[in-house]
Amino acid sequence: MPKILLVEDNEMNRDMLSRRLERRGYAVAIAVDGAEGVTFAARELPDLVIMDMSLPILDGWESTRQIKLAPATAHIPVLALTAHAMAGERDKALAAGCDDYDTKPVDFVRLIGKVEALLGVVSAK
Amino acid sequence: MTSSENTTLAASGPADAIYRSIVEHAIEGIFQTTPDGHYLLANPALATIYGYASVAELTSGVREIARQLYVDPARREEFIQIMHEKGAVWGFESPIYRKNGSIIWISENVRVIRDANGAVLYYEGTVQDISDRKHAEEQLRRAKTAAEEASRSKSQFLANMSHELRTPLNAIIGYSELLHEEAEEMGEKAFCQDLKKIEKAGKHLLDLINGVLDIAKIEAGKMEVHTEEFDVADMLQDVGSTIAPVIEKKGNRLVIEIAPEVGKMHTDLTKLRQSLFNLLGNAGKFTENGVVTLSARRQCEMDRDWIIITVRDTGIGMNNEQSSRIFEAFTQADSSTTRKFGGTGLGLTITREFCRLVGGEATVTSLLGKGSTFMIKLPARFEVPVQSTEIGAGVLRQLLHGAAAPEDESQPLVLLIDDDLTIHDLVKRFLHKEGFRTVGAQNGSDGLEMAMRLRPSVIVLDVMMPTMDGWSVLSRLKGDPYLANIPVVMLTMVDDKAMGYTLGVDDYMLKPIERVDFVGVLRRFCDQSNPGSVLVVEDDDASRELVRNLLEKDHYSVVEARNGLEGLERLADMVPTLILLDLMMPHMDGFEFAATVRKIPRLEKVPIVVMTAKDITSDDRARLEGHVSRVLQKGLYGKDELLAEIRTRIARVSPAPLMTAA
Repeated sequence: MPKILLVEDNEMNRDMLSRRLERRGYAVAIAVDGAEGVTFAARELPDLVIMDMSLPILDGWESTRQIKLAPATAHIPVLALTAHAMAGERDKALAAGCDDYDTKPVDFVRLIGKVEALLGVVSAK
Repeated sequence: MTSSENTTLAASGPADAIYRSIVEHAIEGIFQTTPDGHYLLANPALATIYGYASVAELTSGVREIARQLYVDPARREEFIQIMHEKGAVWGFESPIYRKNGSIIWISENVRVIRDANGAVLYYEGTVQDISDRKHAEEQLRRAKTAAEEASRSKSQFLANMSHELRTPLNAIIGYSELLHEEAEEMGEKAFCQDLKKIEKAGKHLLDLINGVLDIAKIEAGKMEVHTEEFDVADMLQDVGSTIAPVIEKKGNRLVIEIAPEVGKMHTDLTKLRQSLFNLLGNAGKFTENGVVTLSARRQCEMDRDWIIITVRDTGIGMNNEQSSRIFEAFTQADSSTTRKFGGTGLGLTITREFCRLVGGEATVTSLLGKGSTFMIKLPARFEVPVQSTEIGAGVLRQLLHGAAAPEDESQPLVLLIDDDLTIHDLVKRFLHKEGFRTVGAQNGSDGLEMAMRLRPSVIVLDVMMPTMDGWSVLSRLKGDPYLANIPVVMLTMVDDKAMGYTLGVDDYMLKPIERVDFVGVLRRFCDQSNPGSVLVVEDDDASRELVRNLLEKDHYSVVEARNGLEGLERLADMVPTLILLDLMMPHMDGFEFAATVRKIPRLEKVPIVVMTAKDITSDDRARLEGHVSRVLQKGLYGKDELLAEIRTRIARVSPAPLMTAA
């Protein structure tokens, strides 16, 4: 099953999202800040990174840039989660190298659709 | 006539006593002053306003108005400057020292009096003490600033709070969804139902918070517009297929009708989609076993392309009272609606605000029991609108410094008085293309001041405006001898031509207007390239010469005659655009000449403007009645007024030139 690295500092969101992804059959790795996210991406080489944008230590934009700069991880698709439903955030995320984005609060069905699209899965249902 | 005219106030006979009484007992201050700053005449009210015991004390005590009266002596220079350029001021407001040194605010309406050669004799006008009004205005301004500040903080607070509220809500919804899934797997039916309720309530709360956040952002001016180009038909099909299941839930059918020429548009796609989801969702909610129709077409109006999208349903509809309030926040047609149909009551407010944000509008028509039609009308291409504050500042600059420096003085100046900024934007945009200069005022009083200061070639006036409506502005314009001859075109949605023409409007156009018609009308009033020919019938050589020079400078062709008989001879082989006529002449005087001209059918429509030094008696008036368009008293009118009068008269008789669209 594909492996997803979830980079999220909020404990409740992290717990909820990882459990729901696991229920769908994904293997989920967890990072709690941006720096950890970059390190784990290189170590775990997941099939997809779901990246919150407002993170401590290294924010989501900078973390994404580093992931996309490193030759070993550059190919891994990054899905940004932006807290504000504002188009400015979206543009910023795409500019940092994110492959797609979704807004919080998470609409799980919509999120899964985007995850599957990035993983090239036709339908995991 | 003779050119040595005497134009003092002197009147004779019983009228004199009446005028004296009016001046003596007027509530407004009345005065005549010289350009070097002392009084020729003042009335008791003026002495009282300025705090002097008597008229004599005022006129002998004040020998230098600039320094003794004006708190800012430069104000008097500005006054003289405007007088020099424009010949009059209207509502000229200044702080003034009273005799005891206290300061009051006054407003002056003054015109200049010149001799026949154009030299300034004196200024004549009225003064009002407006201190109370100024004080009230200042308090209002402060209250307004404070209110706006408070409103901004409120919106900022709402925006922040909404965001804070969403974070825990996110967990509530997420965990209830998660538990719901797990309960389903475990076959816990009872839990499932309850968990579904928590999830639903959570989502409703989230919708509400999102709506409040959107409105707060709009009010705080923080809602951004992100535009992109897209195909309207594709977008509508996509929206339709997304929303169809919701609409079909109640046995409704969704019909999509797209006009073939609708094409592409360039606007904020996300906001438009959200607006359409709101309208379609509502239509589906309030209709059962009916039809919801989504249609779109393209329409050209005022030189711009618009996309018009309508959502029509055959549902419960609304009465007039309900549909007039339906776009207000937290208003549903009926408070029982919320219980019966759910919803936040914010969707339509947001829809309208989104439409306005991209330069359009959302409207509704509805019939109780028959259904509702919501219409979204957006510019096909979004352009950043002119900010209202910029226009405000522009007006302010013009008020402070007189006329704004125009780009090309030879282009006719059009003054637009309309409270609707989109109209300003549109009219300016296409008039500039057609070679007009424009200035705009957003309310009647600014409009009047600008008319006075800038003397535009044409005034375009809206009827429906707050505080002072178009009719009041029109009657003030036409009631002021200095402004009366500027042509006024009403541009309005109010179809009351009779009222317009009664008040003296020169043309009347209903919105939405055809650009070509509109420009044609303005051209007719402003065309200066070949303005026409003027026959000047005048026995005094110097006056005739003066008028000829004046008219030729303005590109009129001039034909001269020294008396009525000569005038008739000239008319044998020409039809002038206008006749300028003196009254007292040898051989055949102006009265006889005018009466004769009016009997010649081909000359019937040629306007005759009388320019005379003679005091016109009621008997004279009766003789001229029906023969001449206007009587100008020599000396009371400067050359600008004379030219303006001629222009107006000519504009009124000229047929509209054939126009081609640019």
